Amino acid sequence: MTRTSLSLTRRTLLASLAVMALPARRSVALETGTPVQGGTLIYLEQQPHTQLYPPAGGFYPNSGVLNQITDKLTWQNPDTLEIEPWIAERWEVSDDLRQYTFHIRPGVTFSDGTPLDASAVAQNFDSFGLGNPDRNFRPSEVVNNYDRSEVLDPLTVRFHFKQPSPGFLQGTSVIGSGLVAPATLARSFDELGDATLVVGSGPFVAASQTTGTELILRVREDYAWGPKELPHQGRALLDEVRILIVLEDSVRIGALLSGQADVVRQIQAYDEPQISAAGFNLYAPPTRGINNSVVFRPDNPLVADVRVRRALLHGTDTAEIVATLFSGNYPRATSILSSQAQGYVDLSAKLAHDPELAASLLDEAGWALGPDGLRQKDGTALVLTAYESLPQPQNRAALQLIAQQWARLGVTLNVLPGDAGSATVDNLDPAKTPVSPAMVGRADPDVIKSQYYPANRNVLLQKGGVSQEVDSFVDDHLNGLLEGIASEIDPAKRLALVAEAQEYVVDQAYAIPIFEEPQVFASAPHVHDVAFEAVGRPSFYRTWKSA
Amino acid sequence: MTSRDLDAPLLTTSRRFSPRLPRLGLVPAWLVLIVVLAWAVGPTLFTGQSATTGLPGAQLQAPGLDHPLGTDELGRDLLARIIHGARHTLAGATVAVGVGLLAGSLIGLVAGAVGGRTDAIVMRAVDVLLAIPALLLSLSLIIILGFGPIQVALAVGVTSVATFARLIRSEVLTVRQADYVEAAFGSGGTFARVLWRHVLPNSVTSVLAFAAIQSGWAILQISTLGFLGYGAPPPTPEWGLMIAEGRNYMTTSWWLTLFPGLAVIAVVLAVNAVGRSMLRADA
Repeated sequence: MTRTSLSLTRRTLLASLAVMALPARRSVALETGTPVQGGTLIYLEQQPHTQLYPPAGGFYPNSGVLNQITDKLTWQNPDTLEIEPWIAERWEVSDDLRQYTFHIRPGVTFSDGTPLDASAVAQNFDSFGLGNPDRNFRPSEVVNNYDRSEVLDPLTVRFHFKQPSPGFLQGTSVIGSGLVAPATLARSFDELGDATLVVGSGPFVAASQTTGTELILRVREDYAWGPKELPHQGRALLDEVRILIVLEDSVRIGALLSGQADVVRQIQAYDEPQISAAGFNLYAPPTRGINNSVVFRPDNPLVADVRVRRALLHGTDTAEIVATLFSGNYPRATSILSSQAQGYVDLSAKLAHDPELAASLLDEAGWALGPDGLRQKDGTALVLTAYESLPQPQNRAALQLIAQQWARLGVTLNVLPGDAGSATVDNLDPAKTPVSPAMVGRADPDVIKSQYYPANRNVLLQKGGVSQEVDSFVDDHLNGLLEGIASEIDPAKRLALVAEAQEYVVDQAYAIPIFEEPQVFASAPHVHDVAFEAVGRPSFYRTWKSA
Repeated sequence: MTSRDLDAPLLTTSRRFSPRLPRLGLVPAWLVLIVVLAWAVGPTLFTGQSATTGLPGAQLQAPGLDHPLGTDELGRDLLARIIHGARHTLAGATVAVGVGLLAGSLIGLVAGAVGGRTDAIVMRAVDVLLAIPALLLSLSLIIILGFGPIQVALAVGVTSVATFARLIRSEVLTVRQADYVEAAFGSGGTFARVLWRHVLPNSVTSVLAFAAIQSGWAILQISTLGFLGYGAPPPTPEWGLMIAEGRNYMTTSWWLTLFPGLAVIAVVLAVNAVGRSMLRADA
């Protein structure tokens, strides 16, 4: 407690002294490596969290908070991707994958003192699975075909599904299934931007929040229910995590290198060399989901023709993008799915860069080269627009490079930076944004459905999703495949559907996958055991600082 | 008052045509303006490299022989981008000042010349406009008009309408009471004709000098809005946008922010210096 009252300058001074003393001690610290309890970790985030209702926690700044303050029923081992016990000690799954029974670990409590029992878990998943329009809770994208919950005894809960739900077990391990106290579920969506109102059972508790600037997480002394497989048990080693929002990349890195910060998120590829050169740690956990892509909105007549989309796919030189802007931590995409994802198939042959094919496809589709070097059809030029996506690494530069490549075909891509407000509104309107950058991380094939299904993220903007601006575009074949992935019982058949969906999306050229997106973090040499869950969200449960 | 207004044209004329050399401090200012103007008119004369298409593999190179000011993250030559960007900056400033000057002059002229209730109402409206911070006003206008270089120029122009209107109104008020204006009315001139022939020409000189200073301010505003991402969309080499894009690379590639920033500073200082010297000459 006294630690927090240290003035910032004094702390900074201490930290920089520590850094100055480092070169002599670094090797020793790494070798001896006995975890030390105590201390405050300063974690610099690029953006403030927006919403901490767990199913809305996919956004990395949100999940960076949720991962510290909530626990999940199960733990997905990031190395093996196996599902292991956490709050659920064990579980049974019916053969038709329509009933999941979880046995809850005894003695777990939320930070407000209420017990984390079967009834609390049931309330959580009723809310995640069905949504709650009164509170503005939308259904979670990881809980498919949910019907109802049944509390069998105080520590046993059973979930019933209308259709088989093969992704559910993995779904209980993801950030969007963080368990919160019934008191939190009784609040409305709009209130849950305040982290202190989100009561979880995690190793840290949100102690105070200065919205948009700072969030202080304090350790829970009585925490004793971390995942069983972890080497560390009991309370978290750190006393406190201070999450500070620092928008500028250069300031975050400067703060880290000068010893004012311990861990920073979002290191751009061009900054990686100076971090490693200074002897700091770089982490690039993969996100294992849908690769960083550019997607089309076929409802827009300009990209309604599959030949136009295929032309743009073949006109995009992803190797050039990766070589120009990124590093070895960003492998070139060879499918819409990450190569480290379950069910991945290598489609690099279909994604080849082929400007001649692209040009002939455009000719075939009736877009002729005009005298000014731009493609035209019936007097309209092929001019597309996309908003940059701020959370994605170097997205503006990547989109500009794509614009350059498309310009060689005679296609114009306008890249709008804009503010988050207009971008959010316009991104729901296919007429305004025929093209959009998109990615999502999750280590289960359900992620394909999450990304493309109209009722979920709906990146293609099909009719029937959140957007009111869509006239007619619906792809029933794609949706059928996606529904199949979300409900197929037989794992082999499910993976076959995953493969088919990948091929279909690429054949239809709905998306141009560019690279496999990692989450890149860096930490000071005195920070140890920063862990990451399966899709690259940091966990500070085991993290410690050598003094 | 009256005698000053009568003498003023004579005085300024004699001063303006005096063979005195411009003050030494103005030489670099004029040089900067001439160079930037030349860049804006014929950018291809000064650089052979593309401002929008980069060379893959040549990204983030430090200033050197091939690229005097280095290259950006897409391998685009920074000097080429600054040279091509001059056109956007100057054109934007011209449109912005043009809008402010024309609309402001019209409002100020009518208010000053008609007087009475019209004057009171119009000038209170102008006061309201002045009360709103310029950046806030231009941001709101851009949200209404949409993003783009022309919209930004218009928005910046609208925010300067109020200052132009105030200035020209005060000029018109003094000229309006001058004997020769009374005489023009007396000899049967219509209201509009007297305004056009006598009031406007005699009120406009200091406004024109003010416009020169205002264009420096407009360049700053346009760069600010470009920096915030409301102006020309990438890959347009707009200076403010270039500063914003280079900011991320500050720790590794300092040249990306420094040189566009210096360009903005040099042009704004030069325009200000020249504008002030004109204002002094007119006073």
